[in-house]
Amino acid sequence: MGGSNSNWSSGGATGSKLLEMLNVRVVGNADRPALVLSHGVGTDQSAWNRIVPYFQRDYRIVLYDLVCAGSVNPDHFDFRRYVTLDAYVDDLLAILDALRIDRCFFVGHSVSAMIGILAAIRRPDAFLKLILIGASPRFLNDEEYHGGFGEGEIETVLAAMESNYEAWVRGFAPLAVGADVPAAVREFSRTLFNMRPDITLFVSRTVFNSDLRGVLGLVQVPCVIVQTAKDVSVPLSVARYLKDRLGGRTTIEVLHHTEGHLPHLSAPAALVPVIRRSLSR
Amino acid sequence: MAGKRATHIHELPESILTEVFALVKDVRSRNSAALVCRRWRSLERLSRTSLSLRGHVRNPFLLPTCFPYVSHLDLSLLSPWGHHPFLHPSPTRLNGHPEPRPDNYNGHHHLLVDDQQLLVAQRLGQAFPNVTSLTVYARDPSTLHVLAPRWPGLRHAKLVRWHQRPHHPLGADLAPLLAACPSLVSLDLSHFYCWTEDIPPALQAHPAAAASLARLDLLSASSAEGFRASELAAIAAACPNLRHLLAPCVFNPRYFEFVGDASLLALAAACPRLSLLHLVDPSTLSPARPISDPADDGLTSDDAGITAAGLESLFAALPELEDLALDLCHNVRDAGLALEALGRKCPRIKSLKVGHFHGVCRAAWLHLDGVSLCGGLQSLCIKNCPDLTDAGLAAIARGCRILSKLEIHGCGKVTEMGVKKLASMLRSTLVDVSISGCRQLDAARSLRALEPIRDRIERLHIDCVWVRPDLEQSPEDADRTSNNTGDLDELEEQEVSNESRNKKCRHDGDHSKSNGSSSTSSFWWRLWERLRYLSVWVPAGEVLSPLADAGLDCCPDLEEIRIKVEGDCRTCPRPAQRVFGLSSLSRYPRLAKMKLDCGEAIGYALTAPTGHMDLSLWERFHLHGIGDLNLYELDYWPPQDKEVNQRSLSLPATGLIQGCPTLRKLFIHGTTHEHFMRFFLMMPHLRDVQLREDYYPAPENDMSTEMRVDSCSRFEHALNSRLIPD
Repeated sequence: MGGSNSNWSSGGATGSKLLEMLNVRVVGNADRPALVLSHGVGTDQSAWNRIVPYFQRDYRIVLYDLVCAGSVNPDHFDFRRYVTLDAYVDDLLAILDALRIDRCFFVGHSVSAMIGILAAIRRPDAFLKLILIGASPRFLNDEEYHGGFGEGEIETVLAAMESNYEAWVRGFAPLAVGADVPAAVREFSRTLFNMRPDITLFVSRTVFNSDLRGVLGLVQVPCVIVQTAKDVSVPLSVARYLKDRLGGRTTIEVLHHTEGHLPHLSAPAALVPVIRRSLSR
Repeated sequence: MAGKRATHIHELPESILTEVFALVKDVRSRNSAALVCRRWRSLERLSRTSLSLRGHVRNPFLLPTCFPYVSHLDLSLLSPWGHHPFLHPSPTRLNGHPEPRPDNYNGHHHLLVDDQQLLVAQRLGQAFPNVTSLTVYARDPSTLHVLAPRWPGLRHAKLVRWHQRPHHPLGADLAPLLAACPSLVSLDLSHFYCWTEDIPPALQAHPAAAASLARLDLLSASSAEGFRASELAAIAAACPNLRHLLAPCVFNPRYFEFVGDASLLALAAACPRLSLLHLVDPSTLSPARPISDPADDGLTSDDAGITAAGLESLFAALPELEDLALDLCHNVRDAGLALEALGRKCPRIKSLKVGHFHGVCRAAWLHLDGVSLCGGLQSLCIKNCPDLTDAGLAAIARGCRILSKLEIHGCGKVTEMGVKKLASMLRSTLVDVSISGCRQLDAARSLRALEPIRDRIERLHIDCVWVRPDLEQSPEDADRTSNNTGDLDELEEQEVSNESRNKKCRHDGDHSKSNGSSSTSSFWWRLWERLRYLSVWVPAGEVLSPLADAGLDCCPDLEEIRIKVEGDCRTCPRPAQRVFGLSSLSRYPRLAKMKLDCGEAIGYALTAPTGHMDLSLWERFHLHGIGDLNLYELDYWPPQDKEVNQRSLSLPATGLIQGCPTLRKLFIHGTTHEHFMRFFLMMPHLRDVQLREDYYPAPENDMSTEMRVDSCSRFEHALNSRLIPD
């Protein structure tokens, strides 16, 4: 198969090849400011399908898939490169360069929110505003910090993924799904099982090992934290923690009648006005 | 004098061998025959008249040229399904990058320039010069624009499109075809999404083709509206030689220009030679079964604009009618008289389907009335007739003596007795029965009712409704009372069939229930000797495993099964058992083909509220055990989440399907992730896989990123590069 020899070089794929690989799509009004929509693990850019129509007229929307998404050729997932979130940030910035976008608004869900934060630290003038949905700087609980996931719960998820992975290696598609794990982690991990088991395991470790609490203060860009009323994977205390620690001007928007970790899928009608408000201020 | 050497098939003269090959339908057998020797190969090619091209046509020179005598060519299944990159100019990929990429950038990308389309079409025309019947996925008119002129003598055309209609003037879809093929005899648009307003202008603009049309099939499941009276009249006027017409029409009298008596008469006047006429209400074409309120008793509030008197005049005007379907959603009162007229005025009538007709067969007195006076009927389908009773069924059995196919749907007054009597009276001819949506006939009762033809029936459909608490009559009472009514000769017939039913099949039977008077089955398995095709409808949340207990113990010849699961998984109670029960089907030794349609089961795809099962769990529930069956071919419709418009195969479903050791063909009518598809590569015999999103609206490449064109190509490349043992 041709075309997948692109990323064995040191810095990852070049701009235009990256655009192909990550299924980058630009829709909407080309004369208006850019709005980048970045999905979380386990879904792909089609998760934004119900949000896009509302912003098509007023923004130039850029959609792309994370390299771990199901719609990206799994051969492109370089296990040596995507060890930390920095590689994902590289990808995002490379896309912005390839599309020649100087400044943009960024909407990130879950792990993409973390990627957005890191990108904004690296290149503060590229981002006008960050809108973070279901964001958390660290998922694991700490002595004073309640991230949402206890050690035991993470272990359950990882164990389920390990068994998935073993089954996969032996040639069987695993039968476990996100709903088999305890309720506390269910919503979050439901989508994790949509990815290929080895990638899932790898990405989960990356996500659960990452701790952005230390660098939050370096963010200068204004941020909006969008939180549902009841998200088992991201408690409200985390939202407040973020607001206190983020360096730029930060506001919290709570979606009061919504619960769950994927409001852009389960309640787009509630999410759209919030995003619109945030973008216009 | 007989020589020592036995006569060999090879010594048959060529003309006879060709005839023999022509009768062989199975493609793999034909391919094997072609490998025997050169002579056989040329003869087999000579007789191969039908070809369905599968596989990815990336390069024109990959088209097979060794089938020159093919007259029926099916191009609609080419990969990637629904896209014809070699016949369609690709749009610019990104709005920010208008410059085209070089063709050789990536072998899996499809960017062909306009004149390459012509080249490919020319190649097709060269490879298959004798095509008279063509099926093609016509995403937009350019496909036909290029293809149709290659075969100006085309007689049959079938267009397929499940994607959205592109923006172009009315009739533009059909214009290239009608213009290039003036001797077109049959046009099939039953799988083609377009507007009703597209058809009349196209036909009117090409009078030569329209006049030669004899068959027009417009029954598209994706059309929400139907043809209005004026449109119907325009079509009829343009095509005076029509012999077969199938169309959805606006029958609702509250709408403008509904189709009523006058329109039907005008249709008959314009096309007097009609022998097949199917006019249905568009809602009957949707795959979902309408939810009927049991207290409603089948009475909708509106009457149709069609009356019995109008129907009588219609039948008088169409003497050559052989096949009639009028499946409405509004009531037609006192239809019995009209149906008697049908029997008189249309002596050739063989097949009849009526929906929401009242008074189809009253059977008030001993004489025959209504539809039972259509003695020549071979196939009868009665839907939603609230006043059809057991007596009516008995009258039908007395009157339609050569009935081979019977379908009743939504007839609340029919009971087990009635069906049993009908079955026993029509024992010598009835081979295809379908009972669905009838309140008093659950699965067990339906199967018991068909006992008289158990050894003869070949095709069967039942609803898997297991327990109906409101039916208290025990089987013993039912059988006892059934013997008291009716004529003496009917009773005799039943006794005769009783004896012939004693099968010598002796098994250790723990399973068979003992019924009352029909206790012949208490020691024997219930043997359905000739049953080849079984179709079941299962409400969401129900299980399949009681099927054997209900009556389908032993079906030695059953080859094909269709299971349709329908309902709202969000609101139905959690299923009592952990699995749906597919492994219970392993008792049917020859089962090889399955269609598992969960497409009308609605649920939560990703974000289920607490306490609810999401669709991945439902798929695991339904598909568990499928690896125990020796399936050869599987068609699977994944359940859908209407909120996000997603019909997608989930991980557990992939895993379970992957467990089918003998599967060779797999068609998934939905989308899925690429790496889920990769699991299928581990199935040793899998040869033919395709994702066919044949529902409206089919997801555009850009709308759903789950299975993009490139992913499909990569997967198929990998699939095709494996070594196949046979």
